[in-house]
Formats: sequence, structure tokens, C-alpha cells
Amino acid sequence: MNNSDYALEIKNLSISFGGLKAVNDLSFYIKKKEIFGLIGPNGAGKTTVFNCITQFYIPDTGEVLFSTNKGTVENLVGQKVHNIIRKGLVRTFQNVEYVGDLSLIDNVKIGATDQFTSNFFGSLFCSKKSRREEARAEEDAIKYMKYMGIESFKDMMADSVPFGVLKKMELARALMSNPTLLILDEPAAGLNDQETEELAHTIHQIRDDFGCTILLVEHDMPLVMGICDRICAINFGQFLACGTPEVIQKDRSVQEAYLGVSEEEDHE
Amino acid sequence: MNAKAIIKDRRFQYIIFGLILALVPVIQKAGMMKTSTVLILGSVLIYSIGTIGLDVLLGDSGLISLGTAGFMGLAAYVSAYCTTVKGLPFEVGAILAVGITVVIGALVGLISLRIQGIYLAIATLIIAEILLKTFKELVWFTNSYSGQKVAYPKLLGIFQLDRNSMYLFVVVVLIFLMIITENMKNSRSGRALNAIRRSEVAAQAMGVNLLKTRMIAFMYATTFAAIAGVLYGGLVNFVYPSTWILSLSLYFMAAVVIGGNRSIPGNILGSFVVFGLPDLVLKKLPVVSEMSGFTMIFTGVLIILIVLKYPNGLIHLPVQVISCLKKGSSRKGGEGIHE
Repeated sequence: MNNSDYALEIKNLSISFGGLKAVNDLSFYIKKKEIFGLIGPNGAGKTTVFNCITQFYIPDTGEVLFSTNKGTVENLVGQKVHNIIRKGLVRTFQNVEYVGDLSLIDNVKIGATDQFTSNFFGSLFCSKKSRREEARAEEDAIKYMKYMGIESFKDMMADSVPFGVLKKMELARALMSNPTLLILDEPAAGLNDQETEELAHTIHQIRDDFGCTILLVEHDMPLVMGICDRICAINFGQFLACGTPEVIQKDRSVQEAYLGVSEEEDHE
Repeated sequence: MNAKAIIKDRRFQYIIFGLILALVPVIQKAGMMKTSTVLILGSVLIYSIGTIGLDVLLGDSGLISLGTAGFMGLAAYVSAYCTTVKGLPFEVGAILAVGITVVIGALVGLISLRIQGIYLAIATLIIAEILLKTFKELVWFTNSYSGQKVAYPKLLGIFQLDRNSMYLFVVVVLIFLMIITENMKNSRSGRALNAIRRSEVAAQAMGVNLLKTRMIAFMYATTFAAIAGVLYGGLVNFVYPSTWILSLSLYFMAAVVIGGNRSIPGNILGSFVVFGLPDLVLKKLPVVSEMSGFTMIFTGVLIILIVLKYPNGLIHLPVQVISCLKKGSSRKGGEGIHE
């Protein structure tokens, strides 16, 4: 009973840590080539949902149905974290995760790990195949760094470049794996207004140029409302509302979650 | 590739370095060097192999193994047993030695590398102590404290090596291993190793299999230690249990830290400082040579200084000195030099 128009469908997802239900019976779906936002106040469980999708956490119950780059629909639950990227799903991190003492281009190339088919001995002896794949990774890395406008930093150590550049590096690294679904965890965190505006443009551009679906968690409301096609709001791991930005802005439960309840009786 | 690119290629530089090392026997023959110096240099080069392997584990992947000495000793004994006691050809002994060591290493790795952290250090420490005990007790295999005698190897059953040609054989093996390690560090495997050291989550999300990558790093270090063990027996001609103690493993780590981690030239430099300097220089000094355990003190003080002042290791010292001098001269009068 899977709709082939969906890039990702979450069904009845629940996970608890000890006694705390971080995500409770959450369901939503994302259509292909959509920019989809997941919002909620601090501690609402947004990043937990991300971690459940990418299998960093294994959900207690529920299904994560993902339409892979091979055209099949698979339930990701229980799969190995490092195999997820192979299916066309790649993520970025809230606090950029990078290797500080490698050059920026080497950091981007890490994103191509899965594109290599040559084995370890190939890289020891520089076999023809591994040289060819290395050359392709180099070419791709430069292409995506140019795309993100950070090509001039390519030989600098990742530790010595500004945060904004690292954020772009992470996007370039994600693109290296030719994703069909790109998951962005707070892409605007730590960026200034101008950089955020630029980011909104870039996200649109990525969707249009590479035809990938984008799921993002974000605190910056103008950004979310500006670029998302549809939004899902959650609070305390519970589903609140799902719809276009206009619907979400008018939704009473979302307003209450963000601004607090007007009547005092509502809270236990 | 033009000439400049070739000269800049690390691998070309390593070959030149090898050719320079190969001059040592010639100098010795000319009477300008003692035969014992050739032996010391040869063993430093053998220890360099272990250091390069350990650096892949310690420097690139950020894992700690305290079993380098144990694995090196095991390989030395297996090779010695095969050639001296069983009379097998050198190559068969070498392959068996590396093979057995790697299998034992793999078992330790599979048990301890599932979990992040210091478990590999604990497991390798235990296995190294077990191996040491074995070397002391298993008389039929190791000849215990009397030591196992090893002859200079006969390559392919034709070329009988003597001290100088064995030294040259060590140089060839070292340069070969340096080149393949350089290749590996610049490939996706090398990047994966670095990724698991700095950010396990990013590595996983980018498709790096943690256990597999940690295993590769540990197997790499173990293989290199085993190769070093085989060569050690061939060059030194005697294998004693007292060589393979914990402090040898610690010296290997010291060599990585002092020379400069994640740098093959740094590993070589570190090995020279840790394994070569005490024998070549310090033993000839008047007062120092009479102190017992002076190598320990020397290495210990050096580690403290390096970690405090040059955390990147001695190999980066020239670069820093040059940039310091440049700064000084640009400030007119070169005051910067005296800082």
C-alpha cells in the first residue's frame, strides 16, 4: 500500500528513552521533489525523528518507508547506518561534522566513499580502477565546491575556514553521493541574515538542479515559511499539524505550542 | 607528468631516500663506519616499519594498540622457528609468521573494536602480555631465555644474504611499504580512517563502515609489526623474550608522537630519535651513558617537550623555524630569531 509519489513516508513512528517518549506515534509523508519542513519548539523531538530516519536511533515501533534510488520502496528500520547513504538518502548535521585536519576538498570527497568499488588493495597499489575512481571523485568534488561557491578554499585545512564555508562544504559533501532525499538538520544555525538568505536560494537551486527531495529541520521561521512547500509541526514528539506554510501559521495548536496557551485550564 | 611534478611526488622522494640509505654499506666498506652502526641503522629502519604501521592506527584512526611489541615478537619467533628448527625456506617462514600474527590480531580486533574507546588498548595489552609469557615458557618454540638463533635469510633459495645485503633488503622493504602507505593515505581508505577519528557520526552517515574501517587500521598496524618482526630476526640473528616487553610498544608510540603523526617522514624521524639516538649518540657521551635507564628518561623528557611545544611533531619543526626566521627578517634586524 505504498504511494510511489512519496519520497519518504513515516508511519506510526515511536521511540522512547527510558520513560521519556521522545517521539510518539508520528506519521507524515513527503512527496517527491518537495521541500518539506519539520518544525517544533526546542526539545520537540525533531532531531530524534531525523536520527530515526537515518537509523542512528532504531525506533521502537513504526516504519520508515523510503523510495530508493533504485526505484523500490524499502523500510529503513533496522538497516545499518552506513548503508543508508547507498539508497540515496544523505543527511547533514546540526553542528557541522567534519575532519578538521584534512583539506576541505578531502572532506568533500569523504561523501563519495560509497561511490568507490575498488577495494583496499586497489588503493594500496594505486590500481587503474582506484585511480580512475579517485579522479572522478576529485572532479565531482571540485564541481560541487564550485556549485556551492567554496572552490577557492579547497586546499585549506577544514579547521581554518569560516563556519559558513563549512556549512556549504557539508552540502557539497552531501551532494557527492547523488542523493534522492537530502535531510538538512538546522542548515541556518550559526549563519547571519545574509547567509541565511543565500542558503534559502541554494536549497531551492539544489532541488531544481539535482531533482532531489529535501527534508529540513529549522528554527529560523522566515526561512522555513519562505522555502517549504509543506510543513509538519510537532511538539513533545506528538504530531500537531501538517500542511502548507499558510495552514501551519493559522493552526491553533501550532500557535499554542510556540506562544503558549491563552486559557490556563488547558495545561493539566 | 613533467619533471617538477615527479620531483614533488612523495613516492619519488621516498625512492631517493632509499637510495641514500643504500649508500650506508658502501660507506662502511670504505672503512668510514663501524659495522655495528650498520646494524643499529638497520634495526632503526625495521622499527620504522612498525612505527609507520602504528601511525595508521594511532595517527590516522585515533585508536591505541599496546600490542606492537607482542605481535612483532610473535612474527619474529614464528619465522625463526620455521627457518631454524624446521628448516623451511625464508619466504615460507615469513608468510606463515605474518599470517599467524594477522589472524591473532584479527581475533583481538573483532572482539574489541565493536565498541568505541579504549577497549583495543586493553585487549592488545593483554594479548601482548600473554605472548610475552608464551615466549618465556614455550621452550620448544622459542628456546626461552637462551634465545632463538636465526640465520641470515636465503632469498628464493638462491641469494644468501649477509649483514650488508640484509640491510639493503630491509631498505627495499621499507621503501616499498612507505610507498604503499602513502598511496593508501591519499585514497578513500585513508580519508575513511581520518573520518572515524574526528567524527564517527559523519563517517557513518557518509557510508563508512565503522567496524570494517577500524579493523583495516588495526590489521594494517599488525601486518607492519609482523613484517618488522620477521626482518628483525633476519638482521639481528637472535630473538630473546626480553625484547618484546611493554616498553617497546610504548617506544613505538613515542616514535609516532615525537616524529609527527600522520606523516611518513615524521615516523622515520621519530624512529631515528627514539631507537637510534640512544645507541648512536647518547651511549658515547661521558656522564649520560653511565645512568641506567637513560633512554627512558631521554624519551620521556622528549615526549613532554614535544607535546608542549610542537604537538605536530619534530618533522614540522623546520617549517616552523623557517616561518619564524622569515617573520624575524621582515621585522628588520631579525629580532624574531631571539624570541
